[in-house]
Amino acid sequence: MAHALREKAAISGIGETAYTRGTTKSGLALQLEASLKAIEDAGLKPGDIDGVVPYFPGGGIAEDFIANLGLPDLTLSLFVPMGGATCVAAIQSAAMAVATGVAKNVLISVGRTGYSGARVSARLQQFPQFALAAEFEAPIGMFAPAQLYAQGARRHMELYGTTPRHFAEVAVTTRQHAILNGNVVMNKPLTVEEHHASRMISDPFRLFDCSLESDGGAAVVVSAADRARDLKKPLVTIMGVAEGHPESPASIAQRPDLLDFGLTKAAKRGYDMAGLGPKDIDVAEIYDCFTFTVLRQLEILGFCKTGEGGPFVMDGRIGLGGDLPINTHGGLLSQSHVVGLNHVIELTRQLRREAGKAQVKDAEVGLVTGYGDMGDGSLAILRRAA
Amino acid sequence: MSTAAPAAPERPLPTPTRDSQPYWDGMREGRFMLQHCAACGKVRHYPRPVCPHCHSMESRWEAAPLGGKVHTWTVCHHPFNFFFKQAAPYIVALVEMEAGVRVNAPLRGVAEKDLKIGAKVRLAFEPVTKDVTLPYFVVAG
Repeated sequence: MAHALREKAAISGIGETAYTRGTTKSGLALQLEASLKAIEDAGLKPGDIDGVVPYFPGGGIAEDFIANLGLPDLTLSLFVPMGGATCVAAIQSAAMAVATGVAKNVLISVGRTGYSGARVSARLQQFPQFALAAEFEAPIGMFAPAQLYAQGARRHMELYGTTPRHFAEVAVTTRQHAILNGNVVMNKPLTVEEHHASRMISDPFRLFDCSLESDGGAAVVVSAADRARDLKKPLVTIMGVAEGHPESPASIAQRPDLLDFGLTKAAKRGYDMAGLGPKDIDVAEIYDCFTFTVLRQLEILGFCKTGEGGPFVMDGRIGLGGDLPINTHGGLLSQSHVVGLNHVIELTRQLRREAGKAQVKDAEVGLVTGYGDMGDGSLAILRRAA
Repeated sequence: MSTAAPAAPERPLPTPTRDSQPYWDGMREGRFMLQHCAACGKVRHYPRPVCPHCHSMESRWEAAPLGGKVHTWTVCHHPFNFFFKQAAPYIVALVEMEAGVRVNAPLRGVAEKDLKIGAKVRLAFEPVTKDVTLPYFVVAG
């Protein structure tokens, strides 16, 4: 029997601000600007929104949305505090709400001033999910994700022979895709040599292995699939969606296997719900806070075996025209860091066949992941409805 | 015009909780204290109120051996906190301790090229304020 949520909800609207380095707008203003675009894209009016999932912490709260958008009767207000896994996990919560009738149109939004506002180490001080790292690791000189995740990357290199050349392939391919998009922060070509020459941040991560600190807002609307069918864009349904939490969820250091992410659990549930597997995926938008994180998620998702993520990404396989085009918008590495909601937006565009020069031909089914905090994971499998 | 140098950035310090206080008290006394379940005996780290194995809320603290093996490491170059700018680049090793938990701490006295998984190290104690002592590692002799 098919999963009760399969194809019951759809991504009905998508919206993004300009992605920049430098803005005078607040994170809330960016979030609302993107939200208005997403609502318009869905063919809805702001008053049609009856559920909100703002990014937490550091975004707006439900009260801000009611006050700014004039929402007459909000029936659902949620936070999903999973760092970079938040946006895709929020789709699960939104899908549950619209499938059951608790809400009709749920808005998921992110607004970030990562460049013009506080930088990553300062922002994370607000996160309860980082409390253990703040107590036990910040005092000895480890706190930023680049440092905390670097130890897992180093272990993968030592165990499986993964190299900086493999990391560079992700960075260079992602940049090539960004250049096709237009609304990106990084729009100049990147070579493997430039990647290797970029300054070391936290070994093995160099500057071009790390995602951007940028300013921007992004939003999507999730609606019941039967309603979204009447809206103005091609229907993109949610086939499968899941979140997963790893063992030792607030500390990477104490996790029995450092390379185990919440995605391990989410992937199985998401594939099962969709009734699909890795072979069915035409295009994938993989959360790319770091180049290595992409390699490891490709392994967890079953596109290759554990240890083979490095060789897998070589020889054009993850580029447009390859077996598995990934991050066709430029990702967090080259487009913008809006906590991966830009990945959901790009996958929706691909399946609507609105992706312009980066369009994957005949894309029918795609996958998007989230990865956040100390390894929380989330996955959604979307399909262009017949 | 003032010629005073800008204030040096302050080291981030732990804020012990009711659950973790015995760990930090131990550090200050030069002991590596770990929390064990009083009912089933299993060790848990970082400290927390409930044993995830048997759900007992009673625990006791015991001094653990200082030896361990390198599980992985990173070399921090970019000072995300400016306090560490002078020290960068510095190695932070994640060490599998003999007691079965891990400790993340600077590893001193070893060259980056000589790092390898499984290398034997020993935990040492560095007082940084009157109240706070932090761990670091040296190569086991």
